[in-house]
Amino acid sequence: MEGKFKFSKDTEALFLDMFKERGVKLEGNVLKIIDTDSEDFKEYITSAIEADSKTRKKRLEITRQIQDQNKQLERQAAENDSLMVDLKKAFEQAEGAKLSALNDLDLLQRKTQFELIGDIVKVALWIIMAVGITTTILYIVALSVNGSSPDTTLIGNTWSNLLGILLTNSFSIIGTIMGVKYASESNAKKQDKE
Amino acid sequence: MIKSILLVDDENLFHLVFEDACSLLDITLDLRSLTSSDEAAKLFSEWQTRPSGKPECVFVDLNIVGSSFDGIELIKKINYEYGNGVVVGIISSSADKSEIEKSKLAGAQFWIVKSDDIEPRLEAFKKDYEGYKKRSADFKVYKF
Repeated sequence: MEGKFKFSKDTEALFLDMFKERGVKLEGNVLKIIDTDSEDFKEYITSAIEADSKTRKKRLEITRQIQDQNKQLERQAAENDSLMVDLKKAFEQAEGAKLSALNDLDLLQRKTQFELIGDIVKVALWIIMAVGITTTILYIVALSVNGSSPDTTLIGNTWSNLLGILLTNSFSIIGTIMGVKYASESNAKKQDKE
Repeated sequence: MIKSILLVDDENLFHLVFEDACSLLDITLDLRSLTSSDEAAKLFSEWQTRPSGKPECVFVDLNIVGSSFDGIELIKKINYEYGNGVVVGIISSSADKSEIEKSKLAGAQFWIVKSDDIEPRLEAFKKDYEGYKKRSADFKVYKF
């Protein structure tokens, strides 16, 4: 090869001694441009080139493995990013579904509450009406059987008081129900705004 | 053997692969590696007045992350701004036909596709090198 150079005999001996005593060899591209007349040093250079070549092959293999691992990591990172985007979307959908379910539950609860209130009102009013009608019939019967009796007067007073109480109670029930309904609606509106 | 090579590639690991492959295949004894096209352009600008250290052959990556311009632009600059006189081509993992055409127009002489097994391609390139140096070889893509 062009541009090769030779070491002096002493330098060659120094390198050979260094190898024999400490196992240290020359390495790298410099080996390719060393020329020699000594058989011993030629052998040394050949073995050093072989060792250097082995080291380079090993390093090349390791570097490739690292390159492959890096590529794999990059691929996995891209997959992770894509998964994160999907997860975020799924989370947002789940949040939306949760809010919708909560709204539905709230509506259902309100509906059940109003139905219950409606039933209570109906039953209470029916009872009031039934008591009112029954007592009125009893008073009419008492009037027609013995209208001038002091007992009939007593029944009349009692009927009058009872009817008053029944009317007061019925208005009180209706008032309470209306109040509860108004309060529930206000709360619902407040929650919707929040 | 090629007297001196300059590699411009943003991937440091590939510098090691290229260096070892060049050494094992006896392609060159003098290899310099850079990670940016800006740095390479600066050196070529300096070599216009002081050509000492100017490489004989330049391998340029197509996409050089972190640089102001890509490999094709660098080849254009080398050929049309900083004076020719070097064998220059692309070394890239891409084999995109339109990019290959663009590189040809920019004055690239070869395109080597990077892969796990780069040595056979570099060996084939080594055989064709004299043709590139004499400007007698046609543009070639080293893919298989």
